Amino acid sequence: MLNKFLKTLYNKVFVNIVVQGTKSMVYVEICSSNVKPELITNAYAEFETASLNSKMLEFINSYTKETPYFYISVLDSSLEQGVIPTCEKNRLSYFADVSASEYKCTQHDWTYFTSKTDLYATEKKYHKIGVDFIFSPFSILVHFFKDKISSTLSMYILIEASSLSIAVFNNDKLLFGNHSNLYDISETDGLSSGDLEYDFDLELDDGIDLEDVALESSDIDFIDDFGDIEDLDAIEDIDEFSVHRDLEEELYQATKKASDYATEENIQSDSTKDYLRFTLIKDSISTYYKDEKYESEFIENVYIADSVGVSSELKKYLEEEMFLNVYVRQVDIAVEVCKLSKMEFSQ
Amino acid sequence: MTYSYIKPRKKSVITPEMVLAFTFFGITLFMLVCTYLFLAYKDYSFVKDTNIIQTERVLLEENLKKMKTEISFIEKQKQFSQSIYTNNSVLKDSISNLFDLVPQRIILSEANLLENGLILYGITPSKDVYSFMLQAPLRSIFHRTYSSFYPAKNGWLRFVSTNYSDKEESIDEN
Repeated sequence: MLNKFLKTLYNKVFVNIVVQGTKSMVYVEICSSNVKPELITNAYAEFETASLNSKMLEFINSYTKETPYFYISVLDSSLEQGVIPTCEKNRLSYFADVSASEYKCTQHDWTYFTSKTDLYATEKKYHKIGVDFIFSPFSILVHFFKDKISSTLSMYILIEASSLSIAVFNNDKLLFGNHSNLYDISETDGLSSGDLEYDFDLELDDGIDLEDVALESSDIDFIDDFGDIEDLDAIEDIDEFSVHRDLEEELYQATKKASDYATEENIQSDSTKDYLRFTLIKDSISTYYKDEKYESEFIENVYIADSVGVSSELKKYLEEEMFLNVYVRQVDIAVEVCKLSKMEFSQ
Repeated sequence: MTYSYIKPRKKSVITPEMVLAFTFFGITLFMLVCTYLFLAYKDYSFVKDTNIIQTERVLLEENLKKMKTEISFIEKQKQFSQSIYTNNSVLKDSISNLFDLVPQRIILSEANLLENGLILYGITPSKDVYSFMLQAPLRSIFHRTYSSFYPAKNGWLRFVSTNYSDKEESIDEN
């Protein structure tokens, strides 16, 4: 009772941290002390760290020290997160191994999950300031496109600096979801940043062949389908890959190059990243259509929540190569995280 | 519906420093209250004791008055008893003296002691013996002496001697 009374006397501070590659974006909102917090002022800062450095700590503390009612929200950046189109516990493992994951069921009968280890790591990373909320990018995506999700069959994509969160919804019902890291594809496909640059430039010169793209990034599951000539080509690639390449060295090189890629992020062109994103989206769509686990319904529209400012080429490729209607909305993820944080606070 | 994987930490205005301060002030306040209660109890106890003592004092004063009355009564009784004792002593001496006064030849048969007098009955061989040997000392003691004689069978005389002391003089003597 006393605590509730005191709560009404203090302003609420919502600190929202979004890690984008090697940068951390911190968005702070100071809200009134009402039950439904109303914005008084806000602040935004970017820090050249993926963790918590002294400048960031000082910036956050300058706001949190004014009130005991501050809420630290972090966007989950785990690589082992995703969504499952069911809430039935006995069917969760059919879609993904969630034995080491924290998962939550939504009211629309789908589940989002993330690695428990990564959750603990996030809490440990920010232990100096503490963490109150950790949100899934899929929660952001659903909240951002809630006007569309409830009434259409479409694909929704949240583009972050280093990852993509892809989900297909049909009138609130989740059909498919996937979270991908941009740098994973370069590692798994053995592509260095230089290779990507070269390939993409080449394709830009010659025009993009959808079949070639499909072959380069074809999944191992395609091997089962011998009726398709594209898949046979893919098998040749895989055979070549497995016989002649030094996997250990490849892994070392890929890791080193991915690391170099992360540090030289500013130098890389936006087109290269867009190509990676396009590849990931294409792979996800392919998995969605081919994997029998998912209810595949034909997608015509793609809604993209763009937090990094993708080039128009990504939209063009998706429209021209995959014949999709693409709609891009700019999103400030930190602000969206703040909205979710306020919703959590109001409950 | 909640969106976060984790629950928010409990927020409280009360920091550990405030807990320490509140604890300190709480203990101080508790001690002050205890002291106040102790003093209030002592005050109440003192007032109660004062009332009891005053009641006892009133009772004692009443007892004292009663005892003073009793003492005065006892003193009077003592004086009275002393006066009785003195009177008795005087009477005893008087009787002793009286019997000493009576000579060998006169025989007393009865003596009545009155408040202010003495009546003697007896036998005397003659009036002269009586007059010289008994009446003379009686006259010196009493103010008024009356004697009457009548003959006895053996030739002696029976006598009745009535002696009175005057009242005023007897009071003075007392």
